Amino acid sequence: MSRLEAKKPPLFISEPLTRDTVSQSLSLLSGILKSCYGPAGRLKHLHNGMGGYVCTTSQSSAILSHLSVSHPVLRVLMASVQNHISRFSDCGLFTAILCCSLIENFKSLNVASCTVIKISKHLLSLCMDYLKSEACGCRVSVDFSSVETLLCLVRSILTSKPACMLNKPEVDHLTMLILKAFMFTVPYCVETNAVLGKCVIVPVKGRRVVDSRVLPGLLIETPEIQLAEPLTVKRTCSNMIKIALFSVSMSGDLFNPEEGTIAVHHGISLEMSELNQLLNVGKQLINDEVGLVVCQKVMHPSLKQYLKENHVITVDRAGLSLVEPMSRMTGSKPIASIHSLSPGCYGSLKDVCIESFASKHFVHLIPNDTVVCSMILCNRNETAWDELKRICETAEHVLQLTIKEPLALLGGGCTETHLASYIRHKSYSLSTSSFKEIDCSQTQYQLVADGFCRSLESVACSLNHDDGEVLTDMFYGHCWFVPSGFSSVSNWSDVVSKCGCGINGNTENLKWRLLQGQFGCPIAQGCPKEPSVKVADFLTLDCFAAKCNGLQVALETANLILDLSYVIEDQN
Amino acid sequence: MPLDPLPFPPQTGWKKRCCLLPMAFRDMNARRHIGLQQLSSLALAGRTLLGPMKSCKFIVDESTNQSTLIGSAVRLIESLDLTSAAGQLLNETIQAQNKEFKTGMSTLLFLIGAWSNAVLECLQQNVPVSAIVSVMSEGLNSCCERVQCLQISIHDVNKELCSSSVRPNAFKSKTCQIGHDSLLNPQIFLYFQKDISAPEEVIPISSCSYQEDGCNSNKCLVSPLAGLGSIASLVKPAGDKSTSVISGSGVTTSSCNKLTHSRYFSTLGKSHFSSQQGNFQGYFSGQSADPCECYGFGHLAMALSHGNQASVKLLQSVVAYQQERAECSGSSQFNIAEIVTCCLLGLPENYSCVSPGFVTLVSSEQATVIKHFEDKPLRILLMDGDLTEQYRHLGFNRPCNVRTILEHPSLWEGRAGDLWLSSMLDILINFEVNLVLVKGNVCKNLMERCIANSILVIGFVTRDVLRAFGEVTSTQPVTYLTQLNASCVGSGAQVELWKACDGRAMDLGELVPVRIKVQGIPLLTAVLTTAVASKMQLIEDQFWTLVYRLHHALNDKNVFLGGGAVELLCLSHIQMLAEQPLQPANKNAVKEFHNPWLAASATEYKSVVLQALASGWKQYLSVVMCNTAKAASELEACTTVDHHLKKAADCGSPSAYILKEFRRGDLLRGGSGPFADHGEGLKVYDNVTAKMEAWRRALDLVLLVLQTDAEIISGPKRNQLLNSHMSRTFCI
Repeated sequence: MSRLEAKKPPLFISEPLTRDTVSQSLSLLSGILKSCYGPAGRLKHLHNGMGGYVCTTSQSSAILSHLSVSHPVLRVLMASVQNHISRFSDCGLFTAILCCSLIENFKSLNVASCTVIKISKHLLSLCMDYLKSEACGCRVSVDFSSVETLLCLVRSILTSKPACMLNKPEVDHLTMLILKAFMFTVPYCVETNAVLGKCVIVPVKGRRVVDSRVLPGLLIETPEIQLAEPLTVKRTCSNMIKIALFSVSMSGDLFNPEEGTIAVHHGISLEMSELNQLLNVGKQLINDEVGLVVCQKVMHPSLKQYLKENHVITVDRAGLSLVEPMSRMTGSKPIASIHSLSPGCYGSLKDVCIESFASKHFVHLIPNDTVVCSMILCNRNETAWDELKRICETAEHVLQLTIKEPLALLGGGCTETHLASYIRHKSYSLSTSSFKEIDCSQTQYQLVADGFCRSLESVACSLNHDDGEVLTDMFYGHCWFVPSGFSSVSNWSDVVSKCGCGINGNTENLKWRLLQGQFGCPIAQGCPKEPSVKVADFLTLDCFAAKCNGLQVALETANLILDLSYVIEDQN
Repeated sequence: MPLDPLPFPPQTGWKKRCCLLPMAFRDMNARRHIGLQQLSSLALAGRTLLGPMKSCKFIVDESTNQSTLIGSAVRLIESLDLTSAAGQLLNETIQAQNKEFKTGMSTLLFLIGAWSNAVLECLQQNVPVSAIVSVMSEGLNSCCERVQCLQISIHDVNKELCSSSVRPNAFKSKTCQIGHDSLLNPQIFLYFQKDISAPEEVIPISSCSYQEDGCNSNKCLVSPLAGLGSIASLVKPAGDKSTSVISGSGVTTSSCNKLTHSRYFSTLGKSHFSSQQGNFQGYFSGQSADPCECYGFGHLAMALSHGNQASVKLLQSVVAYQQERAECSGSSQFNIAEIVTCCLLGLPENYSCVSPGFVTLVSSEQATVIKHFEDKPLRILLMDGDLTEQYRHLGFNRPCNVRTILEHPSLWEGRAGDLWLSSMLDILINFEVNLVLVKGNVCKNLMERCIANSILVIGFVTRDVLRAFGEVTSTQPVTYLTQLNASCVGSGAQVELWKACDGRAMDLGELVPVRIKVQGIPLLTAVLTTAVASKMQLIEDQFWTLVYRLHHALNDKNVFLGGGAVELLCLSHIQMLAEQPLQPANKNAVKEFHNPWLAASATEYKSVVLQALASGWKQYLSVVMCNTAKAASELEACTTVDHHLKKAADCGSPSAYILKEFRRGDLLRGGSGPFADHGEGLKVYDNVTAKMEAWRRALDLVLLVLQTDAEIISGPKRNQLLNSHMSRTFCI
């Protein structure tokens, strides 16, 4: 007997932001993310409580993908941050914290949300215009003809995640490696549409970080038992090695149609016929003077034996991630069928050799020109290695973004406080016609601008995790940190030495004020100044493109969430 | 702390709502950090495993009532409940050290506990987390640089060890030449003689027969049975020894200087010696004049053993074999991949020995095949998969939708399995294969048919063994028998029943040890025996630990002075750091990468945090002293350490003081005199990288857990955690 149940009506939740559960969850999420922010950020153990792998991290990408959030409002927030991370890799925490902070600040204002949205869009355009203008006081241009600024950029990214467990010499070593790897991926001769190459990370867990290194070309791990040294490779007449790259399995199993059965007469072995086909392919490879056969998947032992006897090197189980860079590096086209081989699908290599590293053995494919390189990345334990891998990928991505737009923003909270003091200054000097355009009063505008600035400043404040104070100066609008235990000092200039990004020293009387003392902050006399000297070394820098996009995403997402008036939940 | 100022909802009332939601979030930070407490309590279990005198532990499995004896941190960790996040990370850290070094795990475990406690105390004193992290990691870096001066090159160590033990009386006259007069004094020297001579007389025998024929030497290489009695005879006027040996061997006196170091022969009984005289001549002529080159690493192994006598003797004979081979073939001096172990349960421990070739256990039915072989050279086949009908190479997906149609069923065709069996057997017989080494499992029926046809098939052979046989016979392993062609079958293998040192073949119930070898195979099997089942793993672990210690020492090319010297220097260095008004790094802070959060607050709490770092090593030293009964209590041990620290500081150069005390053998010996305890602790060396990596890994783990303020838990266990009262728990 079947029973039909009537559909439940959908659940309507009006004004979701006014609900307690949402604001509590939001502040919890914001608390988690704020506690992760910056080089002194706190880490999170992500695990399933059953004793499996524990991921220790402070990276937004890892945390957000591990959090499963129930409330739709939070899901919107997380989805847009994750989208930002997938496009830029960097500034995920900045975006998420700023977004939470904006929602909290704007919600507490007694201004209609549509007005808030209009004003905040205007504020965003002010910010973006400023950041993109030559007059911007919180950005530096990146000179690709010298490494100093690039090193600062990479070093800032590496030191921002404490779970990598790096000490200073290790940071220096990795910074150089990442930059070296990036340089490998820049093509030699630049045509009209140059494409950057790829750096493949090869995991070696359990070794010291300083054992990491970068090699041009690709490394494919192979079990030792297959290798016999010295490696003799068949070369073509032009002294190159011809390579065939298979993306199809050559293990000799049958392709598996999803449904239906194959009926076979007794005495006929499908396995044998499949193997014969493979051996035919092998024969053709030998005739075509191929010296190296690489298979993404498994090769049948008999085929390997046959090729080996004919002095062809075989490497199988290369993995999907290597196929694309290998095809790019060698100019070969991945062969997806064992039934047809066109002579145009082969690529060429300069050399092949065997590299042993730790207890692992690799076949090293050396190309003619290097736009593909391999980075052997080591760290002592798995959880720290995983964190390091993510951060190295971020650094590579940031360098790619920076070569497109050679700018960087001052880090260590200075961009946020500088931008906040710029907006504060601007919002007081705006003409009345602009208010009319936005359709709001000056008071409304200033309330929203203040909320916006406080949100920016609260991001800078989240860099501080011990009970110290965070200051900003009235001249440059930079961010300064006072260590804990000094909160009762009357003169701040006694206890601060350098601003967050490291560009300004405590040389002149800069008139500091507390960032957390939110209300009644004096307005800066003028537009915050650009630092007089731009020292290039030992600065904390952030990726320009990622931060700009993060700022936009945070504000647009906050606006979207503020604008929500109903959540309709299907209850079936 | 960081989450405290946030407007968290009150704890009660939240939990009920939580259970509907899929995430748990646990805030675990406070002044009393749960993660660090977990680390500290887990590490407590490993205290007695520290140092050369371990107290082993019995691990009892309640379900089977079986017990195992464990003596290393890895085995301990394997048997602890580690479901917490901190426990899981601890396990991961210990396993990583084990995988990389096979030594230093107990140190690692202990320091994790000690530093967790010390950091908890810092938290109690309101030291900010960032200050703890930066000062501790910089402190460790600084210490690691400081202790570099306590490294000694392998070359020097060998020179010192062998010159002191082989030519006692000639020593004084030779010191200038060696240039080590400052390092040794006659007193040590005497002691050393006593110390080192024990292994000397257990050194192998058939050294030369090896190069021409590896198979006639099934003699036991080591006889720990020789025991203490013979030590006494060795301590007799030692000057005579070398001359008597030399006259016995009939080598002229002029070559005497070259030979004295030749440990293998110098202490052998004369009768034995003369019987092999002919071979020695050739061997000696190839020797270099440098006294340490030829000496091998036997004494180094002893100094690295930290009191693990039984393994030393085995390792020394491994070294002797490999050394000899290296001299003949120019291969590397010590190759860890050419050593395998075979565990024989039921024999007394003094039957342990090293046999050239591959020793393994086979069933008694298989052993009957060996009798047919007698001494004839066998044709050998290597297989790198299973030898079963169902086996397919990795990555082969079995088709699930193939139906076979049989049109003309006929009776004679029999079962499919029989067809496979007989065709496989045919292949083996056609290629005249006598011996098959299989990496994986072997089909039972095929095994029986092979035995009936006098083919010996041995399963579960490790990769290293297959490789060694592959190299020496220049064949490649095959995956399927159908792949076989003439070039896949090697020849010249020999199989015999393994005989113990008393020349008897052993029958251990169902299983029989056999020895397989091929002319020139570099493989050595350390046959480990014990009558106590629960001790087997312990013995094997200890053997491998020592093997790896030697391996790492040779890789590092340096060793640390042992017996607490390095830790003592760290302590004295930290004392100095804490007294410094400003860390040297801060002086050129302008050029440093700027980190305002860390630098400023760090100086404030520097001395507190450095003390915390120091307390780890101090506890380490005192627990080692207590475990070795060099101190009656930890308090007494601490006093001894402090005493040394004070003297080191007074002396002006702590490293010179420590070096001097180490030479005197007086380091951390407590109240007892330098010669009070017999044969141990005088010359002890440690691995360099393994030790410093253990420190670093321990501190990394503690700091990693310290910096963690929350756990984010997903999965079915979260509700359980939500109901626990350990910490505040929230859901999003």
